Amino acid sequence: MPSARTARPHSARHTLSALGALGVVTALALTGCANSSTTASGTASSSGKVSRVSVTLTNDGSDKCAVSETKVPAGPVTFTVKNESSTAITEVELLQDQRILGEKENLAPGLDAVRFTATLTGGNYQVYCPGAEQELTDFTVTGKVTSTANSSAATLLDEGTKGYAEYVDGQVTDMVTAVKQLQADVDKGDLAAAKTDYANARPFYEHVESDVDGFVKKGYKATDNAGNLDYLIDMRASNLDDAVGWSGFHAVERDLFEAGAITDTTKQTAAALTENVELLAKLVPTLDYKPEDLANGAAGLLEEVQSNKVTGEEEAYSHIDLVDLAANVEGARQAFAYLKPGLTKLDPTLTKQIAKQFDATNTLMDDYRNADDLGGFDTWDAATKASDANKISQQVQALQDPLSRLAEKVATA
Amino acid sequence: MTTPPVSRRALFGAGVAAAGAGVGAAAGIAGATAATGVNPFTAATNGDESIDLSQSHPFYATAARQPQGGVQTAPQRYCVFMTFDVSSSVATDLQVLLARWSASIAQLQAGKTVGSVEPAHGDGVGADTGEALDLGPASLTVTVGLGPGIFDERFGLASKKPSHLAAIPTLPSDNLDEGLTGGDLSLQACADDPQVAYHAVRDLARMARGTATVRWTVLGFGRASAGPNQSTPRNLMGFKDGTRNITTDEDYDRFVWIDDAGDGADWMRGGTYQVARKIRMNIEIWDADVVSDQQRVFGRTKIEGAPLSGGSEHTTPDFAAADKSGATKIDPTSHIALAAHEANDGVKILRRPYNYTDGLNQYGQLDAGLLFTAYMNDPEHFTRLQRKLGASDRLNEYISHIGSAVFAVPPAPRKGSYIGEQLFR
Repeated sequence: MPSARTARPHSARHTLSALGALGVVTALALTGCANSSTTASGTASSSGKVSRVSVTLTNDGSDKCAVSETKVPAGPVTFTVKNESSTAITEVELLQDQRILGEKENLAPGLDAVRFTATLTGGNYQVYCPGAEQELTDFTVTGKVTSTANSSAATLLDEGTKGYAEYVDGQVTDMVTAVKQLQADVDKGDLAAAKTDYANARPFYEHVESDVDGFVKKGYKATDNAGNLDYLIDMRASNLDDAVGWSGFHAVERDLFEAGAITDTTKQTAAALTENVELLAKLVPTLDYKPEDLANGAAGLLEEVQSNKVTGEEEAYSHIDLVDLAANVEGARQAFAYLKPGLTKLDPTLTKQIAKQFDATNTLMDDYRNADDLGGFDTWDAATKASDANKISQQVQALQDPLSRLAEKVATA
Repeated sequence: MTTPPVSRRALFGAGVAAAGAGVGAAAGIAGATAATGVNPFTAATNGDESIDLSQSHPFYATAARQPQGGVQTAPQRYCVFMTFDVSSSVATDLQVLLARWSASIAQLQAGKTVGSVEPAHGDGVGADTGEALDLGPASLTVTVGLGPGIFDERFGLASKKPSHLAAIPTLPSDNLDEGLTGGDLSLQACADDPQVAYHAVRDLARMARGTATVRWTVLGFGRASAGPNQSTPRNLMGFKDGTRNITTDEDYDRFVWIDDAGDGADWMRGGTYQVARKIRMNIEIWDADVVSDQQRVFGRTKIEGAPLSGGSEHTTPDFAAADKSGATKIDPTSHIALAAHEANDGVKILRRPYNYTDGLNQYGQLDAGLLFTAYMNDPEHFTRLQRKLGASDRLNEYISHIGSAVFAVPPAPRKGSYIGEQLFR
């Protein structure tokens, strides 16, 4: 997902209910936590006989997932999974209504067969082999039908999106406060205070950037950067549109950190920044999100890390790239956290993998925390970049990899 | 060595390949026109190798103690070498990675993808990145190596360590860059199409994410060694490289393949050790050296590659032959005199190097050299030779060893198994 540094049409993923009507703010209801307890097994059949099903993964030109039986009586069912030769299929799941009742991961050719057993009541199930030519195989259990449905993963994910919407709204509200402080100190001509304000304001944008980068002011074409809020707020020197000129955070950054002087232009730029951020704060609450928007947004933030922060391109004058980087990671972590209750039901292993890599990334970033530097992180100067960029980039990559599978998981729930 | 020989001399016009139009173009013609006659140039020159991109090498072994490809395999034109650090300390993660790599390499060598390029869901991420689609197998081989770190305390595999596997000691003239040394795992992907080789390494590195991180890599071109029936190629110094390389099965058995790797390392029988050195050449300085001195440095003539003691390329050098003044015709500190097995207790190593370039260095000079990859049944054979070369080789004025690593290369797995399986039993 490219960074929205240049004009682009509205992101289709959002439902923008009232773009023109800026006064209208849609309140997002926050539903309480539903009961999330559920059980993978229903009432066992009385026979006590175990059904056996083999799942065999092969590649003979395309990746195939063969299920030996597709109809078994209610009761315990043991699935034996063997990867004979497929490189694309690394996991097999047993699903009912998008819920995972049993699964095996890390399936690679040559490894021993693995088993899992689930006690199944009558109903329709599916064997899911992601990466196979035919990914889903219908699996029917006959016998006494007992409903096992409880709080579904989809419901939990939906609740997560609402909680996340509140989080984003909170971030843009705080952003307004922070840029007003920046404007106030710029107006006073207090360079040192303004620098601190700048570093304090940046994380609010970087937390939610991938959600708020699609807005166009009323009366402008989507292709006109003069109406593109992301351009007006967050344009970097490297991608300027000469027809529109430069405004926003980074124009202020240039004056404060490169020129080291506050001029009348700086004051005008800071005032315009406040105006545009206030506009953004009115628009953002009109957004609502699908679970995959959170997943894609998180992935987008990590792409921002790789493309603009690790390179030092984002904060070319202040060199507080690590502040932005940590904020991108934090924003992605928030999106993941809101999806987590539902995702745990869909795929506990992936949930753990992603959580583990977020922990590892945070642990790594702890090495760079430094209360003495602006924004609370080490300055991303040329020497630090040369010695540490690779390490950070690789850890973020290790996080991106499992995270890239998130959107598909939650989109199909 | 029982890997079936693959003929690299497809009988189509040598002029096509020689024209340098790119292997892709050559392959297109190969597919369209069956050879009907002998091109006069084919018969007349020795640089007549044409590339058939439909050729493939099998990955799985069909007999015990069969080596992996990419060692005795006739050197392909391009090679990507990459090393990795294992970031996980869980043996199962390493095991799964080796299993996934093995099965994937088998498919890649057959010219297949490692999974779907376009997943059924638009929201899905492709399992294969897709850039090698339609390029053919291009004689790809991917060779997997295990560094000394695999046998440290992390994975509980110390008791299975091959007896000769240890980091290469510091050698005379070493100028190593830490960022270009070592690694827990290595991949050597060689193919006749550079994009096929790069795709293989890229997708295997992608598969490793979360388990291993990349450490250093070199992109090699223009094979700088010759297999059977291949003419001796030239390194970037313009000299033929590897005229006296190992070629016979007898020498492979004696110097390359491991017969006994020590207690606990029975799993390495049929394997070998890989030594990789990144050797930078001081190109501009070398280019300004007069040809008589260049020839003296190597001990051979530049065009023919004949030893300065006389004869043609494959004439055995006579290191004792003297000129009228009494000096030996081949300088005793020339490259071939110091490296000759006659001067090293008969020891030989299999050299399988490639040229590389990294563009320009910070001084605006050409940044290029040799990815020296060598195979032997005891890395001490390499250190013995390099200790001598590093101390007094006339070539040292023009080169610098900047990267170094050693790996154990297990034998090829049989179908249904994977590289290093015995480690986890």
